[in-house]
Amino acid sequence: MIKREEVIRMAELARLELSEEEIDLYWQDLNSFLVSGRKLQQVDVSGIEGTSHAMAVSSPLRSDRVGESLPQDAVLAAGPEVMDGYFKVPRIVEEQQ
Amino acid sequence: MRKLAHLLQTGEVSSTELVRRCLEQIKKTQPVINAFITVDEEGALAQAAQSDARRARGEALSPWDGIPLAIKDNISTQGLRTTCASRFLRNYTPLYDATVVERVKQAGLPILGKTNLDEFAMGSSTEYSSFGVTRNPHDVERVAGGSSGGSAAAVAAEQAPWSLGTDTGGSIRQPASFCGVVGLKPTYGRVSRYGVVALAPSLDQVGPMARTVEGAAVLFSLIAGTDSRDATSTGASPFQVPVWDPKVVQGLRVGVPEEFFSTGLQPEVEAAVRRSLQVLEEQGAVLQPISLATNQYAIDTYLTLVTAEASSCLARFDGVRYGERVAAEDSNTMFAKSRGAGFGPEVKRRIMLGTYVLSASHYEAYYEQAQRVRTLIKQDVARAFEEVDVIITPTTPSTAFRIGEKRSPLEMYLSDLYTATANLSGICALSLPCGYDSRGLPVGLQIMGNHFREELIFQVAHVVEESVERGAQREL
Repeated sequence: MIKREEVIRMAELARLELSEEEIDLYWQDLNSFLVSGRKLQQVDVSGIEGTSHAMAVSSPLRSDRVGESLPQDAVLAAGPEVMDGYFKVPRIVEEQQ
Repeated sequence: MRKLAHLLQTGEVSSTELVRRCLEQIKKTQPVINAFITVDEEGALAQAAQSDARRARGEALSPWDGIPLAIKDNISTQGLRTTCASRFLRNYTPLYDATVVERVKQAGLPILGKTNLDEFAMGSSTEYSSFGVTRNPHDVERVAGGSSGGSAAAVAAEQAPWSLGTDTGGSIRQPASFCGVVGLKPTYGRVSRYGVVALAPSLDQVGPMARTVEGAAVLFSLIAGTDSRDATSTGASPFQVPVWDPKVVQGLRVGVPEEFFSTGLQPEVEAAVRRSLQVLEEQGAVLQPISLATNQYAIDTYLTLVTAEASSCLARFDGVRYGERVAAEDSNTMFAKSRGAGFGPEVKRRIMLGTYVLSASHYEAYYEQAQRVRTLIKQDVARAFEEVDVIITPTTPSTAFRIGEKRSPLEMYLSDLYTATANLSGICALSLPCGYDSRGLPVGLQIMGNHFREELIFQVAHVVEESVERGAQREL
């Protein structure tokens, strides 16, 4: 069993605001999910490398050529809040005293 | 599909007429089926008019120029809203086309609209869409499957001759099976993922859905191939629609894994699949019992990896550059509020599970362990393909279930029991209808082939398709 505080911590890490009811719901889900996670832990994988890619491929490189880019004003037009050619966000750094 | 192409070529039918017919059928059936999130009537008719003009000049872009299609709403279409069935993106319009969209446009295919899905492709029933559930055209009290439920239902309800879907753990094959259409999950890397909103980049593939094997093969030939904008597509070779040859099954080694015919399998599904196996045997195929013992870990492995990759992919939805924003005093609160308001319950669930398995103290025990078990599954599949040419199984343990029937998340995840292994191992797999259960619901047969063996599985599917049609005619 994981603790409720741990669920709250996960939501913080994921930058996900949850209601009290949602926290309880996902607390339950996480615990039942851990059962299947533990089932996997029974599998003997000694000496086995992990797979992060379905196919064995090398990292290909393409030639470094200047291509077309999306127009700045069109990209900015999709932003919820923009100002002077920038996406506007709330304050991130505190003002110095 | 060749018939449609022939009618277009001889001028017996125009693209405008085809598009109008689809739009009429959509108007008639959309209120019940809800296969579409966005119907682009104006755009489709304009593209059809252009296609007809090209034909008149003798400048058709391909034999398929003018045959319209529907596209799953997690594939970017320039100037056409792409929502991923999420509140977060309900007003998002992409500035560019996904590579697959570019390619179907280059072949002259008008786009009818964007089809419904589980939010961000997370689900197996299209019940997790913010735009309402898609209903199964064979029984509107039942789900169309998912996550490409809209793309499957649109084809089954004759709203579109063919469509594009995406498949991460079964999301093309399972709805194809439920709706009685053909759907292919291509070999990982054979189709570009550029412009497709990622669920789990190590598993996602775009694939075709159609009413016939040939239709699926044609659409696949239009979208397959290398793309310099998707580094994982480099192993991809072009695909040509084969000349259909029933002789391919003579001496063909067909693997039948016992693990896919065990408890929990609906008896009528098993019966229909075994009938098709028998037909193949009568035509000279050699059935070989095989074991894919690691399939018992497929769902747990899939679940761990897909939630981890999804939680990481969805980090980009922060309310800064596009999508919905909920205002707040500081940035972190703005991110959290925007995401909390924009995402639905299944998306939040997977973000939570994924964040947990990737967190520093659990990474090794869950995420790394699942990656290692994935290797075992890959090895198991590779071993099987040393002995056999194709593997045949049911696509799903049951036919389409009732809307609201699957209550727990785990129950829902289990409907991908027979399909997730193909994604984990990167092989190609196709579902086609092989019969009906006593309620008249379609049963899907899955044919799996080794990496880049799409041509072979299409050939085998074509043989099964013909035998099923002959069987159906006999029953009439």
